[in-house]
Amino acid sequence: MSSSARLGLLMLAPAAIVVALLFVAPAILTGVFSFTSMTTATGITGGAWQLTSEAMGRLRSAGLAAATVDALAAEHYRIDETTLATAADAGVAAATIEELRTRHGGETFDNRRDFERFLKGLAAKPANVAALKAAVPPFRVSIVNVRYETAAAFDAAVAGSGVALDAAARDLVGREAYTGWRWTTANYGRLAASPETLARLGRTLLYVASTILFFNVGFALVLAIATYYLPKGPGAAVRAFWLIPRVMPVVLYVMLWKWLAWDGGFLSTVLAPLGVAPRNWLLDSPVNAWIFIVLINGFIGASMGMIIFSSAIRAIPQPLFYASAVDGASTLQQVRHVILPQLRWPILFVTSYQTLSLLASFQEILLATDGGPGSSTEVWALAAYNTALNSYTGNLQYGMGATLAVVLVVVGILVSLAYLRLFNFAALVERPRIEQ
Amino acid sequence: MPNRLRSLMILGLIGIASLPLIVMLAFLVIDSFSASPPGTLIPDRFTLEHWRFLWQTLPGRPSIWTATANTFLFAGATGTLLVAISSTAGYALARLDLPFRAFFLGGVLVMHAFPTVTLIIAIFLVLQVTGLYNTLAGVVLVKTALNLPLGIWLMKGFYDTVPWEIEIAGVQDGASRFTVWRKLVLPQVRPGLAALGLFSVIDGWNEFILPQVLAPRSDVQVLSVYLAGLISDDSRFDFHLFKAVGLFYVLPVTLIYMIFQNRLMSIYGGGTKG
Repeated sequence: MSSSARLGLLMLAPAAIVVALLFVAPAILTGVFSFTSMTTATGITGGAWQLTSEAMGRLRSAGLAAATVDALAAEHYRIDETTLATAADAGVAAATIEELRTRHGGETFDNRRDFERFLKGLAAKPANVAALKAAVPPFRVSIVNVRYETAAAFDAAVAGSGVALDAAARDLVGREAYTGWRWTTANYGRLAASPETLARLGRTLLYVASTILFFNVGFALVLAIATYYLPKGPGAAVRAFWLIPRVMPVVLYVMLWKWLAWDGGFLSTVLAPLGVAPRNWLLDSPVNAWIFIVLINGFIGASMGMIIFSSAIRAIPQPLFYASAVDGASTLQQVRHVILPQLRWPILFVTSYQTLSLLASFQEILLATDGGPGSSTEVWALAAYNTALNSYTGNLQYGMGATLAVVLVVVGILVSLAYLRLFNFAALVERPRIEQ
Repeated sequence: MPNRLRSLMILGLIGIASLPLIVMLAFLVIDSFSASPPGTLIPDRFTLEHWRFLWQTLPGRPSIWTATANTFLFAGATGTLLVAISSTAGYALARLDLPFRAFFLGGVLVMHAFPTVTLIIAIFLVLQVTGLYNTLAGVVLVKTALNLPLGIWLMKGFYDTVPWEIEIAGVQDGASRFTVWRKLVLPQVRPGLAALGLFSVIDGWNEFILPQVLAPRSDVQVLSVYLAGLISDDSRFDFHLFKAVGLFYVLPVTLIYMIFQNRLMSIYGGGTKG
């Protein structure tokens, strides 16, 4: 390896490490997580075994006989060292405990009434009804809702409950009682089956297409061409002004739009004398919400196209303009026949670049409407975020959110590979000249 | 003169299109220093009460100064780290005889175009497991990593404009490639380093979603999360206060933008070349 190559690897190393750990690894992990049932409830690192009422419901629907499930859920009263110790702690008389230990160790009773009757028959029986009632609970054993940290402990508890299970049933019980995450393809199944999926796709398409059409390309063209025909100073000032939405912190920017739209804000106050009832324009109807979403994103997005188109227009040879002027072309004809044909590639570039950024963007929508009213402005990326990281119920569905993200990631990779094709990658990776 | 008329017409039309922005920015300043009676937008008195967050902590919020210090740390650290790492990696990709160079360059390009926010779910889980959740260090590293493809690509662009003759002369005089980079090439791309640093500091200052998800706890909260929390608190809905906090928050960015506007223009234009 040449010394240049060694130095190159060394200089690339810090970037490679950071990118590998916090960019590439998460990208791969997103794919991995999409095949799990990971949620807040299952935890991230693993789980325990616990026979909850939900697990029993799943067991029943998985075909385990109802009688078996009931038997698993049944409570018993058992006399052994563990329950005796609990009883001693609970204040049961020492004489009672001693008699139970020496004469009745290992006995089991199937219900509370039998056990109480048995206690009343003891030589050292509890002194009164209150003591009797207090003596019963410590002996109650049930595997329901008890948390077992290992599969072995759980299996032992199931075996100890006295319910006869064959190997397949034991596996099933263990699987359903596990509280951690599992490998599953159910997320993709749910995604394919859900009617929301199509609706989200439609909303995302509407969002990306209209923002690009009206602002990122449309309005950006208007700004670039208009400022070209302005004197230098005002032109630069307009461009600098339209860069503000992009440079401004997004939280503040969206807050100002909210002020513009809310029922005590600018629009409502200005329209009040015209007899329009004050309302929150941002959330009062899906159509208005969409208008604001496109405006909010479009005002930010217009600046990139504006800058790229402006420099492309300035790169057009001046003689073309002079020639068209001599031929008597009006300004509009100049725009149509001289400028626009030269902007084909910049427009294509801006369109493809912005498609990708808009597909993945959700910050503005999250801050403005959070997908409302209802879910009428919930685009795909926002759905992924809300599913995995932002739930009112507190149970975040990491696995399902990752599945939604994977769809975006796949689209993202395909689109960015297509760019490389489109924008001539080979020219960008020329070999260094010293080594040639 | 028709040209003059044309200019006025154009300016008028752009002015109308810019109206929402002009109104929002004007009232950002006006409302933070004044009070107006309900039902009207015209202020009737000057007041500093909306700026009370500066000397008293708002209920349920951390101190504004903690948040400000955190934001400075976050933006400064991401900027420094990004410039340091991109300047070496960019040079390696632009000028050194790196093995798998095309692969690395392609990787940088694909990642540059990659929808990074989609990674946030996995990043959240990774930080949870590694214990970097709710720390500034964690969110600084993540922000740097996600900005690195852009940083490397820009730096490569800046290095590409440095004449090869400078380096060839240095190598012929017996300097190592590293010395050539340090002493001859780096000074040539100083404007590029500055632009990338400025861009990255502004970007870090404005960043919302990463700190919101990865470091929301009050002692590591940055200003964007502070302001967003204030706005989403339905019990205290006060746009005058929001605007005062917002104005305070945006001041440093405004200063940087006004001073260095021309340098930044090139990067915001999509990040091809400076």
